[in-house]
Amino acid sequence: MLSFLARRIAAALGTLFLSSVLVFLAVQALPGDVATQVLGRDATPDAVAALRKQLGLDQPAWERYADWIAGAVHGDFGTSLVAGGSVGDEVSSYLANSALIALVTVLFAVTGSIVLGILAGLYRDRWPDHVISTVSLVGMSVPEFVVATVLVLCFSIALPWFPAVVLYGPDATVGQLLPAVWLPALALAVVLAAYIIRMARTSVIDVMASEYVTTARLKGLSTWRVVTRHALPSALLPTLHVIALNVAWLAGGVAVVENVFNYPGIGKLMLSSVQNRDLPVIQAIALISAVVYVVCNLAADLGAMALNPKLRTRGRTR
Amino acid sequence: MSDIHHPGRRSVLAAGVASAASLGASWLLTGCTGAASAPVLPSAAAKGAPDRGGTLRIARPPASDAETLDPASALSAYEYLGALYNRLVRMDAKGHLAPDLAQSWEPDSKARTWTFRLRKGVTFHNGRAFTSADAAYTLRHILDEATASPQAAVLAPLIDPDRLRTPDPHTLVVPLKTPNAEFPSLLTHYNCYVVPDGSAKSIGRTGIGTGPFKLESFAPAGPGRVTAYPDHWAGAPVLDAIAFYSVADMSARSNALLAGQVDLLSQTNLDFATARVVAASDRATIARVQNAQWYVLPMLTTEKPFTDVRVRQAMKLAYDPEHVVKVALQGAGTAGWDNPVPPSDPAHIAAHPKHDPEQAKYLLKKAGQEGLAVDLYTSSYDPLFTPMALAYQDSAGRAGIRVRVKTASADSYYTQIWMKKPLMATYWYTGRPVDQLLTQIFRSGSSYNETAWSDKDFDALLDRARAETDDARRRELYGQAQTMVIEKGGAMTPMFADRLVGISRKVRGYAEYGFEFDYLAIGLKGA
Repeated sequence: MLSFLARRIAAALGTLFLSSVLVFLAVQALPGDVATQVLGRDATPDAVAALRKQLGLDQPAWERYADWIAGAVHGDFGTSLVAGGSVGDEVSSYLANSALIALVTVLFAVTGSIVLGILAGLYRDRWPDHVISTVSLVGMSVPEFVVATVLVLCFSIALPWFPAVVLYGPDATVGQLLPAVWLPALALAVVLAAYIIRMARTSVIDVMASEYVTTARLKGLSTWRVVTRHALPSALLPTLHVIALNVAWLAGGVAVVENVFNYPGIGKLMLSSVQNRDLPVIQAIALISAVVYVVCNLAADLGAMALNPKLRTRGRTR
Repeated sequence: MSDIHHPGRRSVLAAGVASAASLGASWLLTGCTGAASAPVLPSAAAKGAPDRGGTLRIARPPASDAETLDPASALSAYEYLGALYNRLVRMDAKGHLAPDLAQSWEPDSKARTWTFRLRKGVTFHNGRAFTSADAAYTLRHILDEATASPQAAVLAPLIDPDRLRTPDPHTLVVPLKTPNAEFPSLLTHYNCYVVPDGSAKSIGRTGIGTGPFKLESFAPAGPGRVTAYPDHWAGAPVLDAIAFYSVADMSARSNALLAGQVDLLSQTNLDFATARVVAASDRATIARVQNAQWYVLPMLTTEKPFTDVRVRQAMKLAYDPEHVVKVALQGAGTAGWDNPVPPSDPAHIAAHPKHDPEQAKYLLKKAGQEGLAVDLYTSSYDPLFTPMALAYQDSAGRAGIRVRVKTASADSYYTQIWMKKPLMATYWYTGRPVDQLLTQIFRSGSSYNETAWSDKDFDALLDRARAETDDARRRELYGQAQTMVIEKGGAMTPMFADRLVGISRKVRGYAEYGFEFDYLAIGLKGA
């Protein structure tokens, strides 16, 4: 158990290091650097050279990388090359906004889709299953910007219930953002739910066909009790991994949907940082995404251990 | 550890997002209205007087996260400038110079020294009186290397900052290094708004000017607000306030307009599909800015095969600009006939060679370029680039020129493609006075000379025109300069396009010319 945790943490740190190097190299490969991107069309060679010097871009790449990684270890992500402020402060305010969407999305998607997935599994090959499976397949196949645009057309333009875009900046309060959270969350939930529904459905079908469910039924337990006490925990197990990965995706970057809604979240920050070639911001976001990804996976593994009697008791039986 | 495949399409993040989203949006929106019932675009927005007061909400694309209110800067938040500041001189609706903070101006007999008489009784938003010291400071600020102003390249060859004179608080004397009869027109540029004396360090945040609105709040690439300045010298504006919101994505901007969250989309030339949807909406409509942008296919004259003037001529004769206007603009504009000076400019000449594919073939044969094949680069940076490129490809194909249209990434288009690839698509806003246009974009060595064209005779012609104090004679010389651009230059100018501006049906008095719209008269009806 302890060595398992130690191995997992070592792997996590390795993943983080590797992703920071890869992102750094990827950004180096982007056409154009921050000086030309910031100055844009009005860039004169003199102005570009001056800005490059001022930003320290004339130093070799490995030196800039070493400076950055040394700071990041101490929680200092440096200064934004474009806005000039602390990267840590900037990223955390955008991240908080995305967390609000992520929270609502997870509430929508996870609760809704687990219920739907179980229903589909229980009514396998009957009409509720057909309806749920078809709808989730459509949700899986349609790109999220189309889902988002349809939602805007229906619920902000045709029926003016929700704002179509967010007009506030990153320092908007929760109260200001709240009316604008529902449509992006719904768009993300539609895409996300499809995977969870299909996973939950398959798991339920597998579990309901297993011997111990048959045994429980023969003991005379009601279907409801069989489902909640015996089938559900086992069915949730593989679903957890899907949820964990999707939550990581949510926190890491929902650039497409945030862009459609002009939502001041981490995805939008990432997009503008890539466009501006704002190296420290891109690296900070990548590192934070990697942390979230690793933590979610760890949580899924530990959750799996808690839910799976075989894994939980393996240490004792040996 | 995990064997679950991460869904591949979710990695569709970076470059194509904006364009994909906007494509998706317009496709969906067109789908909804149906092609058959597509309404005809209105030729102008509703006329009539606005009600006094109200707040106009503008959605604008942010320049960058490093935006500033310093008008001289390359990163200025453009929409705020006309609200907060005034220039010494401005352009009126007909393309003529008009007084702004300078009431009158006159040159000496050789157009070497210009004297500006400045308006009296003008105050900055902090209450201080505007004087000639502020005007002189503004010019020095633009010329200061630390400002890195794009307009410095235009003014530095003319003005020595140490020789500016302010004999009294309402007179500014500008001695020029070389004679220039068109000098005042160079001060109509949007980098030339007047800022208070000594404000270089603070102006980017304070926005203190003499304009009709004063700054209430501003966040780079974020929201901001200006309120009416009742002591403005030309009277208070119609509106009480303007709220600015930055919305980077174009389809998000049009969604905001359709949902009634904003009243005006700034710097957004709507594509035709979106424009039709906007025009069909109960809330919004389209205002047209006639011939507001001119589109160019620059040929780099330093790159083969465009080093040969016969190839350049063939490229121009080979295609029909009327065809490009019909296909790419769906008629909403004017054929350019390779002359970048807009038809509305008093100096514009209408003469041009006719479309002649046979002559084009003949010239190519003589240049040893029979069966010429060229790459033409475009991007989704502007919705008209690709339609223009395809229309050119189609038209020039009939003269035997094979054009391969290549699409590059929009976000690095102006750093990696523009002025680097031998043939690509680009555009400019009209509103530049003729001298600035020809000097900035066509003179040898200018930083904006996108065709790298260098012709000593052309440069000499510009010098002669500038020094010519007789207006009729000067106009003739600028006409000759245009003929040289058409016959020898590297720029193909297929079309002048109307800008399709999305506005709320409540907006009245929207008029745009010379880089800004009329901030004084614009207002809302029934707000």
